[in-house]
Amino acid sequence: MLVKFKINGDPVEVRLKSGDRLLVDVLREDLKLTGTKHGCGIGACGTCTVIIDGEPIASCLQLAALCEGAEIKTIEGVAGAAALHPIQQAFVDKSALQCGICIPGHVISACALFEKTPHPTDAEIRASVDSVYCRCTGYSRIFDAYREAMALMSKAGKA
Amino acid sequence: MSRPNPNAAGGGLLVVGKDVPRTDAVPKVTGAALYVADLNLPGMLHAAVLRSPHPNARIVSIDTSVAEAMPGVKAVVTGNDTARRKWGAFRPDLYPLAIDRVRYVGDEVAAVAAGDPETARAAVDCIVVQYEVLPAVLSLDAALAQGAPLVHDDTPGNIAHQFDFERGDVDAGFKASDVIVEGTWESARQWHTSLETIGCVAQWTSGRVTMWCNTQTPFLARGRYATALGVPEGQVRVIQTEVGGGFGGKSGDDNASVICAILARKAGRAVKLIHTREEEFLASHPRMPMRYWVRLGFSKDGHILAKEIKMWADNGAYTGKSQAILGAATVRHDALYKYPNARAHSTLVYTNLVPTGAFRGFGNPSADWAVEQAWDLAADKLDMDILDLLRMNAAEPGHTSPHNHKVTSCELKQCLDLTAKMIGWKKKRNDKKPDHGLGMGCSVHVNGRRSFGDWDGSSAIVRINEDGRATVITGEGEIGQGNLTVLRQIAAEQLGLPYEDVDITRPDTDVHSHSLGALASRLTYVAGNAVKNAAEAARTQLMAAAAEQFELPAEELTIIDRQIGPVRGSETAFKPVSAVVRANIYKRNGQPIVGVGNFDNPSDFPDHSRYGNESGAYNFTAQAVEVEVDRATGQVTLLEVASTVDCGTVIHPAAAEGQVQGAVTQGIGLAMIEYFDWYNGAPTDPQLKDYPLPGAAMMPKMHVAFADSYEPSGPYGAKGLGEIGLDAIPAAIANAVADAVGVRITELPITSEKIHRALHPELYANEKTAPPAAPKGSTWVRLGAGKPSGARPPEAELVFATSVEDTVAQLAAGDAMIVSGGTAHALRRERSGFPFAKRLIAIGRVPELNQLAIDGRGMLSAGAAVHQQRLYDNARLRQDWQAIDDALDAVGHTRVRRMITVGGSLGPLIGGFDLPVALLALDARVTVAGPGGRRTLSLEEAFKNRFAKHEMVVNFEVDPMPARTGSAFFKYMARGVLEIPTVNTAATVGVDAGGNCSKARVVVGSVSWKPIILDLQQLIGQRLTAEMLYEAVQGVREKAEPMADVRGSVAYKREMAVEFAARALITAWQRATQKLKPNN
Repeated sequence: MLVKFKINGDPVEVRLKSGDRLLVDVLREDLKLTGTKHGCGIGACGTCTVIIDGEPIASCLQLAALCEGAEIKTIEGVAGAAALHPIQQAFVDKSALQCGICIPGHVISACALFEKTPHPTDAEIRASVDSVYCRCTGYSRIFDAYREAMALMSKAGKA
Repeated sequence: MSRPNPNAAGGGLLVVGKDVPRTDAVPKVTGAALYVADLNLPGMLHAAVLRSPHPNARIVSIDTSVAEAMPGVKAVVTGNDTARRKWGAFRPDLYPLAIDRVRYVGDEVAAVAAGDPETARAAVDCIVVQYEVLPAVLSLDAALAQGAPLVHDDTPGNIAHQFDFERGDVDAGFKASDVIVEGTWESARQWHTSLETIGCVAQWTSGRVTMWCNTQTPFLARGRYATALGVPEGQVRVIQTEVGGGFGGKSGDDNASVICAILARKAGRAVKLIHTREEEFLASHPRMPMRYWVRLGFSKDGHILAKEIKMWADNGAYTGKSQAILGAATVRHDALYKYPNARAHSTLVYTNLVPTGAFRGFGNPSADWAVEQAWDLAADKLDMDILDLLRMNAAEPGHTSPHNHKVTSCELKQCLDLTAKMIGWKKKRNDKKPDHGLGMGCSVHVNGRRSFGDWDGSSAIVRINEDGRATVITGEGEIGQGNLTVLRQIAAEQLGLPYEDVDITRPDTDVHSHSLGALASRLTYVAGNAVKNAAEAARTQLMAAAAEQFELPAEELTIIDRQIGPVRGSETAFKPVSAVVRANIYKRNGQPIVGVGNFDNPSDFPDHSRYGNESGAYNFTAQAVEVEVDRATGQVTLLEVASTVDCGTVIHPAAAEGQVQGAVTQGIGLAMIEYFDWYNGAPTDPQLKDYPLPGAAMMPKMHVAFADSYEPSGPYGAKGLGEIGLDAIPAAIANAVADAVGVRITELPITSEKIHRALHPELYANEKTAPPAAPKGSTWVRLGAGKPSGARPPEAELVFATSVEDTVAQLAAGDAMIVSGGTAHALRRERSGFPFAKRLIAIGRVPELNQLAIDGRGMLSAGAAVHQQRLYDNARLRQDWQAIDDALDAVGHTRVRRMITVGGSLGPLIGGFDLPVALLALDARVTVAGPGGRRTLSLEEAFKNRFAKHEMVVNFEVDPMPARTGSAFFKYMARGVLEIPTVNTAATVGVDAGGNCSKARVVVGSVSWKPIILDLQQLIGQRLTAEMLYEAVQGVREKAEPMADVRGSVAYKREMAVEFAARALITAWQRATQKLKPNN
């Protein structure tokens, strides 16, 4: 079947091999958008998180066919042409990464949170960070990156 | 400080010690970094592997004919396609694909390369293997038993390796001891669980294979892979891709890359092979569990006089690096304290279990798990504070261990003091709170180790280029620790160039000189020294070129801000580095600036008994933990963890801190949550569902500090620190639990159930245990039953329903299944490869099913397609129906709630789901539609009698909460991380105007096929107390019929069902009585 949606603003049409093809496979295999990572296949780790119509979703549990008409944002759509998104800049500034395989999931989850809640509480940040595993960092610096991102975006908003 | 720190004196450092931007940061935050699974070569095929479902079996026959005939299949390989050559790091005992025999569940038997992953997987499923199942040894005891079946016929007694030695006079030491402690501790398997699994892309051209691998050790991997492939080493080129986590698990012991290359050779095409998560759990090399007996002897004033250990380690079916791990666990710890005498007897034992291997800590955590608890026991017996006891015996600079490990820099005492200060040790000890406890543990680690021959060196090249930039050329690589950043910092510092002007290469065995890679915490120390030497050589050449060009002695020249000029020259006298380099090339007999640097660890190659100074320097840590224990559940809450590491000079503080924080987190995982349920030699459900990792929500307050330390042999005084932060954490937690509630856990993991059992033995006195049942569902179980599917899974068709009636009609037409959020179907497909049905009816666009309303009467209704996040976003719903609010919170994160719908939660009538348990407590009704029309029934009745065939959920309804009525929901997850609950409960309690009970209903899920529902009539009219509510739910214990699994035994689940039934009632009652108060 044919499914149409927008990815990072661009309209795409994908012919699905099967009606139950998963979004993560469509992104990584059909569209070669490999920034979204496949971690566990059961929605546990969150590394495959993308934003669908404003909400963070584990793309390994998302049937692509159900995305008909949706707006999807992946890690490839976060940075501008000239500069990193403030959230990405914050992850760089705080060295909030090690092996990096989960980082697209964390950056995307942070985007989803900040888009809805520009000034999240520590508890809201904690819930968002908790939604994506990281095997390397112990999360401490990822928390710092969220707070730094909030500061960078507030500053940019005022400027 | 035991030695002066030259870094502190005059001038200071420009780059070393600064948090410069990491080399790999931008590619990783943008998704541009290329991991092995991201590589796509033209014409590339995808691989899938057939694995043994049996722990020990003879292969009678393999029939690959059906698989080979499948369209899209390009190659099928078995052991016959290999060189039939065993390989392994130290003890070659592993075939790339099984020859005649399989030795563990997961052993590789055959593999397929096909045009897409689905075809490869389907083809593997069509390979028919006939096995003759043999008796297996599934534990240390079974393997060591007299006459036990042999894992390898050439290894009598299943003993793969042994160490047996005495240093000094141990008997005399014990004889002189006033206090002796001893005990046996069991450590555990732990999987690296890198979020990127092991993988490879291989391609043969002109008789050579290029392997893009996510390996930590490209050169060592190349040598072993060549052996396994049966080709000369020169025919193999290994290129390191971005590595998505290693921790020892990607150090070239796995068959995956070899099989990938074998498939690529046979298919004549590039092949990609990526472990599934299930394969990673079945067939990577987890941490080696050990049974560790230790005895320590002390003088009465607390000085250590003797140590003896006896240890047995579970090698699994193949050895990998396990004999080196055995050695580390035997001797390493003895450089930590001033042991005068030590005796050790350790044995590496083959079992028919997953092969074990290198994992961060490399045997240390198992040794520390035992010995650091033995020291804690000793402190009790000596009536000393453990902090004082460890301080008294701590290694110091100049100390030599009984195994001739020569301690150079050592700030262990400083580590102990700083750690104690950070966690508030003395104060918390003096003002001990009930059920709170403190624990301490220490560890020592190497900085590289002479393992693979009499060399533990590194070689680097530093070029200063004609553009003024420098390039560090090294084959050591990066696995996420920040090594590429640290090496650039060292080069920049030594060159006097800005950090951002220094580039660094990634390993390619065709380009770089031999490098050992990321192991043994060696890179900062060993590779750092090599890079520093190379940079110094390059700088010397640069200054010589400048001297010639300026016609001044080199000593009178300096580099400032990318310019070279006379030390006291004016600005105009300077010229760019690029100009100096270019002028040095473009002249007769000119040459580029290329510095070569070597460094060999100033260590000894240990003898057969592991005697010898295995590393030129040692790093140290002291770690403290504060816990609180819930006596009613046994659950441990980690409050604070403090770690101080002596790693000499800290080159990149953020990366260093991150190493420690990450290692501590893995230590917490090892200690408390990372374990499986087992059946017939394999995890019953090898997925992240049953094996959760520590998530952000469970993290304690974490303190990290670095000792003021300087290692004379390290680059700028630095030592390594990648592993040490993990080692002592499990022991420190066990010591803290013992301090809190007096329960000493000796067998990893430290589970809530073990603590509960120790605290309340009377509750388990009459326990009857049933033999474990065979698990259901996973691929290998199906294969074990000898039922290859023999068919390609059908493709599914997905249609959007337009109305409820349309959905019902489509369902009734047959071979159809509703998908709402689609998660259940996605999970099923992932697990079995097969869809639920040929036609999937998507109900998400049916307007009626998307209605969420609270009507004028205050009744809540929600349609089947409403996802839980929509419920969660409704403030009034969450305020009025607290049990639903609690359940929505408990179900997980936004991304989980956003996918799970009302219909998906209620339709299957599964009592372990959270929303239905909450709704049952609230007397919810459910409306269903079927071929015979619609009907509304209570959810309780639905659970009792099920829905009729082809009926679908339309919505649920809940009445407004009466006055003075409260509700609550609890989800008890025994590991303290988000997963399937051990038990979930909900309750509604009402009180009348006088405060007496008017309603009390409690629901208990997850402990029986249908939820247990109790309307507690006996409480009506009573003035409630917490004791009465506890009393009222005692019957739950008998009604519960839980299944034993990774989340608890039958007996424990029964106890928790009672406990959380009571907690739900008590909370609901408190909420009801709050509504009695005038202001509520």
